[in-house]
Formats: sequence, structure tokens, C-alpha cells
Amino acid sequence: MSLPVTVSGFSKSYGEVQAVKELSMDVSPGELFGLIGPDGAGKTTTMRTLVTLLRADSGKISIGDYDAETHVREIRSIVGYMPQRFSLYPDLSIDQNLNFFADLFNVPKDEIPKRKERLYRFSRLEEFADRLAGRLSGGMKQKLALSCTLIHDPSVLVLDEPTTGVDPVSRNEFWNILAELKQQGVTIIVSTPYMDEALKCDRVSIMHNGAVLAAGKPDELTDLHEPQLFELITGDIVSTTHILSAEPDVISVQGFGDSVHIAVAPDISSDSLESTVSASLQREVTLKQITPTLEDVFIHLVNEGSRDDG
Amino acid sequence: MQQVFYLVQKEFRQVFRSKIMIGILFVAPLIQILVLGNAVTTDVTNLKVVLFDNDRTPMSRELLRRLANSEYFIPIEVEDDYTKLSQYMDRFEANLALAIPGGFQRDVVRKSAPKVQAMVDGLDGNSAGIALGYVAAIVQKYNADIIMMEPGLRNEARAVRQVKLEPRFWFNPNLESRVYIVPGLIAIILTIITVFLTGMGIVREKEIGTLEQLMVTPIRSWQLILGKIIPFAVLGFIEIIIIMVFVYILFGIGVAGSIPLLLFESGIFILTTLGLGIFISTISETQQQALFFAWFFMIFGILLSGFFIPIANMPEVIQWITYLNPLRYFLVILREIYLKGSPLAYLLPETFAMIAFGLAVFTLAVVRFRQRLV
Repeated sequence: MSLPVTVSGFSKSYGEVQAVKELSMDVSPGELFGLIGPDGAGKTTTMRTLVTLLRADSGKISIGDYDAETHVREIRSIVGYMPQRFSLYPDLSIDQNLNFFADLFNVPKDEIPKRKERLYRFSRLEEFADRLAGRLSGGMKQKLALSCTLIHDPSVLVLDEPTTGVDPVSRNEFWNILAELKQQGVTIIVSTPYMDEALKCDRVSIMHNGAVLAAGKPDELTDLHEPQLFELITGDIVSTTHILSAEPDVISVQGFGDSVHIAVAPDISSDSLESTVSASLQREVTLKQITPTLEDVFIHLVNEGSRDDG
Repeated sequence: MQQVFYLVQKEFRQVFRSKIMIGILFVAPLIQILVLGNAVTTDVTNLKVVLFDNDRTPMSRELLRRLANSEYFIPIEVEDDYTKLSQYMDRFEANLALAIPGGFQRDVVRKSAPKVQAMVDGLDGNSAGIALGYVAAIVQKYNADIIMMEPGLRNEARAVRQVKLEPRFWFNPNLESRVYIVPGLIAIILTIITVFLTGMGIVREKEIGTLEQLMVTPIRSWQLILGKIIPFAVLGFIEIIIIMVFVYILFGIGVAGSIPLLLFESGIFILTTLGLGIFISTISETQQQALFFAWFFMIFGILLSGFFIPIANMPEVIQWITYLNPLRYFLVILREIYLKGSPLAYLLPETFAMIAFGLAVFTLAVVRFRQRLV
């Protein structure tokens, strides 16, 4: 059964520090929902509150018909939570970890072998069943953690940066598993610092400083990038950035590997910029107009936000 | 209750998986009992003694013989030159020098009081006092055997003629301290196991993040707490039994009283230490911190328990503080049951004090732990 997750006006402070302010989001049943944003954006706080590890200062959080404030145990039995850090027993084997969490989640004894078999099928951990969890590779650890999170067949999965520090192959494999789970109707909320992963979500919320800057389908979000975007490849990013930052028409300059992305107001022509840079660097350069990526959107929104604040 | 069983099962799996834990639980107590049972002793033996007899009469030789043959002394030399006695002391070759002056027998026979000189290495005042006590005991025995038996002496004359030795310290030389120390060691080892393992066990789960993982399961906090303390309480009891067996095999000291009563009292005591362990886990974020806090409490617990320093010797204010130390009561109870075989009826004040402490500490710790969880 697929369940919706609703958060409205959620705020949480740690002493003086306001971690999340007035956050709202609606996750539809069976949706793969992404939370993206830098460290300290409030993603972890939001997720920990969703799974009842923290109490909201204000606002309402509900999963299905259950309120996170009043139905703590009910929520805990239908939600699977995977924290950012690997947190299983390193001195127990894969099999023992799975059995232990199955027991704690009241999975019926005769059901456990079936569940494990299914989890082993997608995680391909069966041949390592007797290996201690502490001796697994990063990718295997994450798959084991996900398996333990799934042992009680949760309707809602909350995954906090599940692929951080995991190699690209394992990351890809992990997301394939998530896609499979989504097909089975599991509602998934996942946070990630990787923009390519955000693109695999049905919808994402871009978070910054405890607030949602924008939310929507990843391809819709790119429309939020109002300025024109140009890519410029020069041998010297530092001085190019320096020259462009001084130009009044340029909204922002951002280094992307060996190129820079230049945001320019929609009504400005690129010709004058081209000639300015060519003159300063004393060689011909060409600006290439590009479609903004999610990363450009994110940077644009953050910059805009800080301009509004200032 | 099933959930608690799973937690306990997991805990035991982890304990028996770890070689270090097995060492801590089973090898360390054996070593502690073996070494400390012998080392923490107030008996003074093997004192090296140098003798000097300037009288060379049957009476002086008899006294010398008795001193030399004592089980506490090892005679290293019978010196002819009185002035050399101090050299033995200076070079730390002898702990004790005994000199019988010329005219010793004459003084016994005549009516003046005969004298014997004892020089004791006083660096360790306590041992010196005990050594002197041994000499006094031997001289007293000599008095009784030789002088009092001398025929033809009137009673009043006997009183005057006795050899007099004025001991500056007194300590019961026949106190067998090992018998007294070993039950104390049981209390200390039990405290270490339960406080440290409980505290660090919980903090370890905090450190590796599994506590949070446990929290998102539907188990209740009381189940979590029981799941954490039952294993260490059980290990504590196993530990007591192991130590009792060790002590019996190694030192031949058995439990004079009732073993069930001893285990019952230990159960009450463990309530306090487990509570302390849980409390420590609520104030520590890392195992190092937990270790530090555990030691902080242990030092006070041990030093203010009467294990090393008799409580009666402490300043009054400190004596009052010791009433807040559950180890103080448990030590008394253990010694009473272990050595005297006292029944519960004689141990009620201590038992009730421990129950009060146990309930208070345990309840506070659990309440605090639960508050921290959510």
C-alpha cells in the first residue's frame, strides 16, 4: 500500500540555530522524492523528524493517516529509515544483522527466510551472508543497510544521502534498486548532494538554509533559470572569471571543470561580452548558449536568495 | 518481552564474538585476584634481621635463637661488633637489628630490669610498627617461658625482672590481610565489569549510530534498557561465581555464609552499578568520555569504601560522604557473609541502604536515558 507524506509549516531549532524554518512539502503515494541542497540545508533534520527521531518545534508532519507527533510507534513500524552514516553492527554478520532487525520489527518467524531471500536477490549479498558487516566494502555496506531498512516491508522509505562516498558503479546499482522499489509502490524520500541523482527523482525540493527554494519535477525546475546561460572554455578560468565578474551585465560566473558558466540577463546580447573577454585575454573567444542544468538552477536560486537577504 | 530477548541475544553474540571482551570478563579477574590478592597485603614477612649478642650467656643465646627462628625474620648475620650494626641499616641490608647488651643474664638474675635493643628501619612506618610488634611478641613469649619459670623468684620480683620492650607502634601481627582483602576485590571487580560495560556498551551504540537505528524500530525504551542491562547483570553474576571459584582454588578461602544470600545482595548492588552505567551513557558522547566518567566515579567509590583506608580513619566530613557510597555497604556485606557467615538479619541496615541507593540511582538514570532518547 502506498502512503503519502505531508509536511506543513515544519520548523526546528537547535538552541539559537534555526535548522529548518516553515518547511512544507507534499509527497504523493509511491513517489520518488528528492531533497537536494548543500550540507546544513536542513535535509537531515527534516528526515530525522519524519521518522520520529526528532520532535518538530511547530508544524504538522503526517505519513498516511498517522501524525508524527502522536503516532510514533505506528510510524516507526511502516517507515524504513537509513541514516547517512553506516549504522549497523560491524561485529555481527550480514545474516545476523538482517535477522536482528527482522526480529525487532516483529517480522513473523516463518516470513523471515522469504524476506531475506528477496533482499539477497537484489542486493546480491547472499554469498557474503556470514561475513561481518564491518568487513564489507562501502557499496556492500549501503546495500546491507538498505536491506535492513527494507526487512519489515515499509510503505515509506527515508534515505539520507544513501550514496555519499559510494563508488559510481554501486551508486548506479543502488538507484536501480530504488527504481524497483518505486515500482512496488514504496514512497521514497531521498536526499542527495549529486545532481545527476536528483534527475532520477520524480520531483525534488531544493533546500538551502532550512527553507525550500524551489520544488517540482527536475526538468521543470530548469525553467526557473530565467537568465540566459553561456558556456565559455578558456585556458585560464581564474582571470576569465575575474574579467567577467567586473561586467555589469553578468549576473553570475561559475566555474564548471575547465569551463565557466555565465548567467546573463535575458535581454542582453552576448556579442559585447565576447569582445570584452577577447580584448582582455588578447585572443578570440566564443560564448556558447547552453540549457541550464539543475546545478545551475541551484546556484542561481541560492545567489538570488542571498541577494534578497542582503 | 520477545523483543528484549532478541536484544539480549544480540548483546551476547557481540560479547562472545570479541576476544577482548572474553579477556576482560574471564582472564582479567583471574589475574586481578591472583596478583592483588597477594599484593594488597598488610602482612609483613621476610624481614632481614642482623643480630648481636654481647652477653653470650645461656639466657641471651636462648632469646637470640628464638628471634632467629621466627617465621617473620630471616637472620642474615650474627655480628660480633656492635658498631657495625648501623652499617647494615645504612646499606638497607637489614630491616631490623637486635642487640642484647652485656650483663643481660646478670640483670635477669639480679633484680634490675634487663633490656634488649631493637633498631628498625622506619622508612615505612607501618611495616616498622608491625616488625616491632613481632619482636615484642617473641620477647613476651620468652618472658613467660624463661623468666617466669625461674624457680625461687618471688612474684613481685618476677614483675621487676621481666624483659621490657617498649613498642612505639602496634599492629596486630596475626591479621591475615588476604582473607580480608579478597572479598573486597570481588566488590571492586564486579563494579568495574557492570559500570564500565554498561556505560560503554550504550555509548558504543551511540557512537556507531546503531542506537538511532534501534530507535526507529517499534521497540519501546524500557525494552531497550532491559535489553542492555540484562546481559551485563548476567555477566556480573557469572563473574561473581567465577571469582568465588578462583578464590577458593587459589587461596582456599570459601564462603562462610550463604551463597544465595551473597548473590541476592550482589543483585541489589548491581542495580546501583547498572544505573550508574546508564547514567554515564547519558552524559557521554564517546566511549573515551564514558571511560573517563566511569573512572571518576570508580576512584571515589573505591577510595571511600573502606577497601584501602579504614573509614574510621577519615576526617568526619569525608566519613559522612562515605554514607553516599554504595560500595561501602556492599564491602561490609561481602566480608560479613564471606568471612563470618553472617545471616541477613545482621545485614539489614546495609541491605536497606543499598536498596534505597539502587532504586534511586537506577530510576533516575532510566528516566534521564528515556528523556535523551526522544
